[in-house]
Amino acid sequence: MPTQPPLPPLLAPYVSSLPPSSLIVLSTVLGAQGNWLTLRYLYAALNASSTSDAALILGERHNGKKQKVVLVSFLRGWEFWRAEAKRLGLDLARLTDKRQFAFVDGLSELFSGPRTTPTTTTTTTTQTTPPSLVPSPRGGPVPQRTILPSRSAPGPIPARGPQPARGPAAVAAPAPLTPSAPSAPPASSREIGPVKRLHLSGKGPAALDRLEKDIAAVVAHLSGRATATAEGEDDSEVLLVLDQPDLLLAATGPGQGIGATEMTEWVMGLQQYVHATVMTLAADLPLIHNASAAAHQMPTPLETEHAAFAIGSAHRAHLVMQLRDLDTGAARDVSGVLRVSKGGAWGQSDNTDANGSWEEKEALYFVQRDGGVSVFGRGE
Amino acid sequence: MAPTNTSHRQTHNLLLISKLLSLRDTASPLALVLDSLEQPATPLIKEYIRRAKLSKVHITFVAFETLKPLEGVDAFVAARKKSPLEIIKAVNAAYTNGSTSGPSRRRLILIDAINPLLHARRTDAHFNVSSFLSSFLMPQGPAASKVEASLVVTFHQDVPSPPLPSPYTPSPLSMLTYLATTIIRLHSFSHILAQKAARDRSLVPPVFGLEEELDGVLLGRLDKPIGNESAQGVVLELEHRRKSGRGVLEWYILPPASRYPPQYAKEIVTLLDDHPLYRPPQEPDFGAGEEEPESTFELRLTDRQRRDREGVVLPYFDAQQGDGPGEGGRILYDMGEEDDFDEEEDEI
Repeated sequence: MPTQPPLPPLLAPYVSSLPPSSLIVLSTVLGAQGNWLTLRYLYAALNASSTSDAALILGERHNGKKQKVVLVSFLRGWEFWRAEAKRLGLDLARLTDKRQFAFVDGLSELFSGPRTTPTTTTTTTTQTTPPSLVPSPRGGPVPQRTILPSRSAPGPIPARGPQPARGPAAVAAPAPLTPSAPSAPPASSREIGPVKRLHLSGKGPAALDRLEKDIAAVVAHLSGRATATAEGEDDSEVLLVLDQPDLLLAATGPGQGIGATEMTEWVMGLQQYVHATVMTLAADLPLIHNASAAAHQMPTPLETEHAAFAIGSAHRAHLVMQLRDLDTGAARDVSGVLRVSKGGAWGQSDNTDANGSWEEKEALYFVQRDGGVSVFGRGE
Repeated sequence: MAPTNTSHRQTHNLLLISKLLSLRDTASPLALVLDSLEQPATPLIKEYIRRAKLSKVHITFVAFETLKPLEGVDAFVAARKKSPLEIIKAVNAAYTNGSTSGPSRRRLILIDAINPLLHARRTDAHFNVSSFLSSFLMPQGPAASKVEASLVVTFHQDVPSPPLPSPYTPSPLSMLTYLATTIIRLHSFSHILAQKAARDRSLVPPVFGLEEELDGVLLGRLDKPIGNESAQGVVLELEHRRKSGRGVLEWYILPPASRYPPQYAKEIVTLLDDHPLYRPPQEPDFGAGEEEPESTFELRLTDRQRRDREGVVLPYFDAQQGDGPGEGGRILYDMGEEDDFDEEEDEI
């Protein structure tokens, strides 16, 4: 098969020029994962703004606004996204340097902080250790649960990988990335880009509030509002990509005071900071349907909460992109089915001209071995 | 069905829906809108807002899951992270703030989704839906006592409810349906048409979206399921309880908002039975009984032919004469003038 364009033409209207304060829910199942579609959202936002003139013709619907992306990933680490984006021609590390992209790691240290009191360790460790040191000697009593490659030396391009430059202990601090941070060496490393690691501490909605504050700090840092830099960066639009936040719900659950409503409110809170939000969720059959009234047995709390969260999010979404397996079974040249549907919040805002190119559609897609994706209608 | 009965029902029920949607005479203080992913309540909510604007009703929008205020809303109360008591306070404050500007005596309170509140962990065991909702309708403040308030609450039917604290507690939905004076269940018109088409053929009606129970399918609605633009619209299944206790059940259809101008004052909702797609105009043979089906043969009889036919003595009458075995049963026929006797073929 020939190499595919990074953005399949059939998909292009849905991934670019998202209406303001919109929520797009991307539902996936185990057999049809949505990473490729998430990457297409990254590509549509970042590529249009990174290449200067050629993309301006294509992306003039953005009104000349720069698009920036904050990716909050709960199931996959930085290395995965960097490698996958590279196959698309996106250099996330470079974009991080240019402050067009920020990665928030919700996987590595969500439940295991490096220290018990992260705020104090921030000051101590960052002051004692030079920022170019590799994180391995600072592992301490708690083993580093990162999936990062162990770089032995900073090498010729130390700026490429943001993590080795910043110790995990420093980044895991929930202190916002504002210029009020303590010392000088982290300030230099901060220029490399915020790879923030979320750490869930406490119980209930308060813990979620803390996560919200962390992510909001990253967004503020990226959009240049906190650091008053020049060159008019205030008109940039930030796209927030939440990759599988249902992990949070599954890992905490109603027993810890976090249910579907709390999660929805958390997402709503995050939406307030950004231009548009893309959220991926699992929509596998047991997670959605076991809790419905037609089920014969008592649903578990996880099933109830997840179904309430997923369906409630679909009610709040402008667009729901549903990925699923092919109904007729596996095929060699089809990876799955993509169904684009209008969500419950469709038509709430009256700017229909922006939404004019969105119509409901069902198409097949095929992810090739090189990462290229083709999207085509049935029978094409 | 008698035509008088239909027209009676038409006028009555159209008047009723117009009264309910325009909030006239406080026909229904608490309307419960049951929507689903297949047919969200947004078009109906917008229609409520449109009509309230026309009749200058103060609109308060309580947002549990909406971020940006809808167009035409007078007061927008974000209910995110608020306790029920705070919400009540904010809603009541919204009216006293806004009432100074307008002379409107009536107010409409829209709640975009009650599910998050029913589902939330922060609502304690003492939270009671009925007292929460009635506190909107009957505010304690002395100034607001003369206000006629109507409450429209949306409930997502497909969001599963949390397990009940006690097996004897009624579920929130049954509680709400018990309290509501009007229940509007929403359906997508194209789905109703598809289900009717299946029922007319005695097939199992199709299901859509979540009810399909397919892996990975949340929404089944597609823009043009039958390639038909005119199949848009929202079907309202209305159940209204009168003050006398008598219930009224009716199905209506609300056309899409693009079909009429926003200032249009006439009634746009029609009965579902009157929609040409749902009940196509009857075939002409029902209305006009005189016409015979056209044929190349003349199937009718003239008077003379009928008389002749009555005059025919059938063979079994002849056989009953009892002339003996083997006799009788002959065909007795008087040749008419138009009969052409053929020697070779015919024999008597």
